[in-house]
Amino acid sequence: MSFLEIKKVGKSFGNQEIVKQLDIDLEAGKTLSILGKSGCGKTTMLKMIAGLESPDEGSIKVGGTMMNSVPPAKRGIVYLYQEDLLFPHLSVYENIAFGLRIKRMDKSFIDKEVRRMIAELQLEGHADKMPEAISGGQRQRVSFGRAIITNPLLLLLDEPFGSLDAGTRKDMQLLFTDLSATYKITSLFVTHDMKEAILMGDEIGLMREGRLKIYKSQQAFLADPDTGVANEIDFWGGLTSNKSD
Amino acid sequence: MKSKSRYIGLALFLLIGLLPFGLALVYALLYSFGIVGIANDGFTTKFWQQVLVEDTFVQSMLYSIVISILSVVFSVGIAMLIAIKYVSKLEKPFMSFVSYLPLCMPGIVVAFFLIQILSEAGWISRLAYSIGLIDQLQSFPSLVNDSLAIGIIVAFVSVVMPFFLLLFISVYRQERLDELAHVASSLGASPLQIAIKIKIPILLHRTRMIIILYFIFLLGAYEIPLILGQESPQMISVMVVRELNQYDLTKISEGYVVAVMYTILISLLTLVVFSYHRSKTVSHA
Repeated sequence: MSFLEIKKVGKSFGNQEIVKQLDIDLEAGKTLSILGKSGCGKTTMLKMIAGLESPDEGSIKVGGTMMNSVPPAKRGIVYLYQEDLLFPHLSVYENIAFGLRIKRMDKSFIDKEVRRMIAELQLEGHADKMPEAISGGQRQRVSFGRAIITNPLLLLLDEPFGSLDAGTRKDMQLLFTDLSATYKITSLFVTHDMKEAILMGDEIGLMREGRLKIYKSQQAFLADPDTGVANEIDFWGGLTSNKSD
Repeated sequence: MKSKSRYIGLALFLLIGLLPFGLALVYALLYSFGIVGIANDGFTTKFWQQVLVEDTFVQSMLYSIVISILSVVFSVGIAMLIAIKYVSKLEKPFMSFVSYLPLCMPGIVVAFFLIQILSEAGWISRLAYSIGLIDQLQSFPSLVNDSLAIGIIVAFVSVVMPFFLLLFISVYRQERLDELAHVASSLGASPLQIAIKIKIPILLHRTRMIIILYFIFLLGAYEIPLILGQESPQMISVMVVRELNQYDLTKISEGYVVAVMYTILISLLTLVVFSYHRSKTVSHA
């Protein structure tokens, strides 16, 4: 049973068709990683799902509810940008608590949840710090925590690790995988990086010129010559064999 | 070489920035204690006692503080409202030009312009008379040289508000408030919550030092309160100049007492504000 159902969604700006006949069926708790070059329509697709852009055609359903006319604040869909976009006037604690405070939840409940999230994000000792006083990786963790604590129906990640160094990126990939499993998060994970797409996704999508092709398994993705994975493998394999010769 | 140029810079700052101020303060202090001055004949505290016994200084100071606070609150409030609501429209070339234009207007021109508009014989009064809202020009409520300082506040807001508008637009873009608003919205915040919990606090947080400095600047403003203010109480700068220009030469020393007290008060306020700002900056680093 699909949790996220997108049928024939399209979007144009002027004469240019940015997203064409978008179809997605994703089960609850799964991650669809989407690979694509800059300008292929990935961000517009995410913005339509988040409600920040309206589709010209097609339907978007989450958990069986039609979302096309639901305002962004009521969708329960959280959009995470490449930059962490933490609220600069709030501490780490208050950034994470933001979504719960907005919903006017009980103070002791908020405190318990925020402290638990801080522990899961391995940010103990940083709760009272301001965003400018922590590292890039820690900021991205706070950004994740701020989103996940609200228990979103769907998480949209737009190249979330794009600005991190290789080491921090690897740590964040592991953290996201753990959090996804713990909180059973349904997510769309957009990335430029083929390895990251393979690592993060239960399903993998390839977007080209506004069209999304979804591979239901890693094997299907690896087997399709259009994805370029075979070329990558040949290249690295060639390097290894040349070295051993 | 680097430390030498640093010392030269420091020396220049002391010479140009602090020395004239320090000398003026010392001169005012000596005058206020009767040590210098044409009508004075030696150290005395009588001018200080005189000023402290009379409530003119306190009254004038409180009057200045209230006017400055109201002017800053209105200026910041209006500018913030416009910036948040119309930021994208204000960035269009024509609107940008229009919002810069008031900055070219000197305070004295604004003051005279407001007399033309708001006085009993001004345009609004004449218009109200000609359409029969009032039966004589004198019935028009006095909005300049008035006891509530409406004229001064309107003039201050006209001069200061455009500056804050441009400042807020710049900070709005710099802090990427639209993107933060999208994040807040996707976390469930309504447009009102986004304004109250995200946009306004960030704009205030980033500009608080400038807002306080503008408050201090308005506290000491001279031309506008001189033209649009009433006889009593007067704003502090107008009162000091009035005292210093008295025909009674003994009153000049009292004028210097007020000037010294005002300078000490403002210096302390500035010191507290900067120390607080510095401590916040250091603790965030």
